[in-house]
Amino acid sequence: MDMNEIKEIFFQECEEQLAELESGLLKLNDGDRDPETVNAVFRAVHSIKGGAGAFGLDDLVSFAHVFETTLDCVRSNKLEPNQDVLKVMLKSADVLADLVTCSRDGGSVEDSRTRGLVKELEALAKGEMPSGGAAEAPKPAAVAAPAAVAPTDDSGFQPIPFSFDDDFGGDDKTVFEVSFKPRRELYSKGNEAALLLRDLSRLGDMAINCDTDALPALDAMDPEETYFSWTISITTDKTEEDIRAVFEFAEWDCDLEVKEVAAEAAEELPMVPVPFDLSALDDEAAAAPAPAAEAPAESKMAAAAARVEKKEAAAAPAAAAANNAAAAANAAGQTIRVDLDRVDRLINLVGELVINQAMLSQSVVENDTNGTSAVNMGLEELQQLTREIQDSVMAIRAQPVKPVFQRMSRIVREVADMVGKSIRLVTEGENTEVDKTVIDKIAEPLTHMIRNAVDHGIESPEKREAAGKDPEGTIKLSAKHRSGRILIELIDDGGGINRERVRQKAIDNDLISPDANLSDEEIDNLIFAPGFSTADKISDISGRGVGMDVVKRSIQALGGRISISSRPGLGSTFTMSLPLTLAVLDGMVVTVAGQTLVVPLTAIVETLQPEASAIHSFGATQRLISIRNSFCPLVDVGRILNFRSTQANPVEGVALLVESEGGGQRALMVDAIQGQRQVVIKSLEANYTHVPGIAAATILGDGRVALILDVDAVVGASRGQSMKQDGGALKADVSLAAAG
Amino acid sequence: MASKKADKGSLKLVPILDLNEASVLHGQLTNMRGEDVKIDASEVERIGVQCVQVILAAAKTWEADSKNFVFEKVSEAFEKTMQLIGIDIEHLLAKEIRQ
Amino acid sequence: MKKKVLTVDDSRTIRNMLLVTLNNAGFETIQAEDGVEGLEVLEGCNPDVIVTDINMPRLDGFGFIEGVRRNEKYRAIPILVLTTESDAEKKNRARQAGATGWIVKPFDPAKLIDAIERVTA
Repeated sequence: MDMNEIKEIFFQECEEQLAELESGLLKLNDGDRDPETVNAVFRAVHSIKGGAGAFGLDDLVSFAHVFETTLDCVRSNKLEPNQDVLKVMLKSADVLADLVTCSRDGGSVEDSRTRGLVKELEALAKGEMPSGGAAEAPKPAAVAAPAAVAPTDDSGFQPIPFSFDDDFGGDDKTVFEVSFKPRRELYSKGNEAALLLRDLSRLGDMAINCDTDALPALDAMDPEETYFSWTISITTDKTEEDIRAVFEFAEWDCDLEVKEVAAEAAEELPMVPVPFDLSALDDEAAAAPAPAAEAPAESKMAAAAARVEKKEAAAAPAAAAANNAAAAANAAGQTIRVDLDRVDRLINLVGELVINQAMLSQSVVENDTNGTSAVNMGLEELQQLTREIQDSVMAIRAQPVKPVFQRMSRIVREVADMVGKSIRLVTEGENTEVDKTVIDKIAEPLTHMIRNAVDHGIESPEKREAAGKDPEGTIKLSAKHRSGRILIELIDDGGGINRERVRQKAIDNDLISPDANLSDEEIDNLIFAPGFSTADKISDISGRGVGMDVVKRSIQALGGRISISSRPGLGSTFTMSLPLTLAVLDGMVVTVAGQTLVVPLTAIVETLQPEASAIHSFGATQRLISIRNSFCPLVDVGRILNFRSTQANPVEGVALLVESEGGGQRALMVDAIQGQRQVVIKSLEANYTHVPGIAAATILGDGRVALILDVDAVVGASRGQSMKQDGGALKADVSLAAAG
Repeated sequence: MASKKADKGSLKLVPILDLNEASVLHGQLTNMRGEDVKIDASEVERIGVQCVQVILAAAKTWEADSKNFVFEKVSEAFEKTMQLIGIDIEHLLAKEIRQ
Repeated sequence: MKKKVLTVDDSRTIRNMLLVTLNNAGFETIQAEDGVEGLEVLEGCNPDVIVTDINMPRLDGFGFIEGVRRNEKYRAIPILVLTTESDAEKKNRARQAGATGWIVKPFDPAKLIDAIERVTA
């Protein structure tokens, strides 16, 4: 472990502390007044400051210090954390986060931002309430930074000042008389007079007289009382402060007098000279750094640093490690930190194990036709175990969505500030766990959606008031598990989708034909179409026409689905359904035009064998299948993927009824079902290149590669067909490519 | 356990004589009141002022009782500490170890 | 004999710095993450000196120090408070709780070792 590694740990810890800080502040914002919440918030900032100080990150230290001072006022009930106060605090938390990022990655935070907040924080600490917009008056450049910086330069080793006042000649020494009478508390607090005298003796030539007169007889004494006191004469080139510094920890618990005397005066008392050689008492002095005054701090620290590296090479001391382990074993609710690479490797290996086990099962099945042998039963157990191992291993990498959700609250604040809206973010189900790889990838689309919701979803306060709504808008972000997937909902109480405008825009952009007959739901979902953007004016916030299609694409790339439902005047709900992991998938293995494909099981509602009477032609290329008295478009997967040039006969195949994110159902035609199994997902992009309509690949039990169908892309392609019937297959191909 | 009582009238001091040991030592010495005492301080590594006080109070008491109170053996650390805190135990040392 | 130091701090960063610093100075280091764990670990490790933070969850430094001082067996152990608070009020509270001395964070390795040397034999 070297300083760089510790710094790495520091930044990791900062992330955690910042999350803690923000969630605490949000709790306070919701009216939580638990002292422990305030304490946790304070500790988070305090801890960042402490670590930052150790690495000399002065900007971070000085800002954290001001922040901490104000938080301390809240902690000591001098400052009521009302909404206005918390607004400043939340902004400060954001700046603190930026300062951490800058300290780690370089760059700098705008001075004016920091300075403005420092002013606001200081005003709060002084008991002034925030004045709302608080116009930023120019302040002297000093800003509190110098005063605020913790004493990084206080090395503890005061260089002996070279002053002509107390240093007449070259080697002139002063004689001090020290009278020292410890009190009982000195000992009960763990100090020891003998050690103080030892340190004192190191400052120069010392003669000592112990006054034992107060010592009573054995039976009259209290063994923990103090009876001895001392008079010491010390000849030294040090100053009175140096002498007092020896008693720094004890000065409250003793009577201490230090005075400079003429050299002869010391002779008055009967003194016992104390030899400087105290080696028997401080054997550690040889092993450990020498007493303070003897070496300049720099060289000692350099020596320490050199030793750090040496020891590093020789690996961590085993004894200490064992001890730490023992100590840690006592702690409750233990966690260990594991390098993510190791977990990833483990997950990959388990993936291989699953494939291997499947291959083994298959070859045994092929050679054991009756399927009842002991080998077969053993294999079933192996399959069970493999699956359990896989689940357990995946659970290691599972993480709550909380950090991502927390990041969103900052975005809401910032964007709302920018567009002059007042918006509250409510989160729910933050502890819902999902694989880390998924978490890493949902942040971006989610950010985009949140920005959209703030910018377009929620109306301006004036509009809201006019509509009889609370001028403060609410955005709710929730997560929950549902049937093996994670469901993330983003609900705003804004104006909802303006369907007239969306429809018009879609027609203008040639996305639909003017006479297309679309359900409300289908119109709402048009906002996910490529290149669609409803913002009347392009704003900085939602970007330039980079709209929801990008969001949809990134969600789909994760094997997820997204849909919207909207109620005019009441708001919109975006629903995202994502796989819990990107590593494995339960799939149905099917045959299409001689190819083996895997269809994600989560997409399949039911499978059916179409009868000729249920198939209806519709237009030139469209066919519908009637299922329980309703019609559902029939999609030939082989045709969509261009595996074949003419449509297959539905009666000879199997229909997979799938549900797309729009809620509409489609029947996907495949030639045959081979079976159902869990497959390990291998990225096609990483190993080959993106193929429209295909989500990923996998390796089957027989060792062959099979493609995993991107159901939404296929359905999207078929929807393109149905929306613009005259566009035919060509249109379908275009939108397929765009959606993939 | 400030000391182990090897045989009657002799007391062996333990290596670490801190605040906690002062009371223990006090009790032990009180029990030995009235008899000649030989102290073995050869294993002392560390002794705090409060234990020194107990020992000196005992020496004073033994003197008043006209009994012998001598240090049979002393460790270097013990001797150095006494020197450091300005306690002269020369007169309490057994003749054989006096310098 | 290596001197044994028990450190109590909730910051992983500081714990690691302490560990590196103390190990390099030849100390045996035992670590706890808060006051509660500190008191648990104390039983059975019998350190020569304790270095503790003040602001910690569950049981803060003041409570931890009081706990140690109430303990018949360990009450004499020197305790150094490691804190960014250099103001007199915090020092005072720490002293009243029974702290032996303090080290103002950010500590430099030499300062830490020096303070430990001062309170241990």
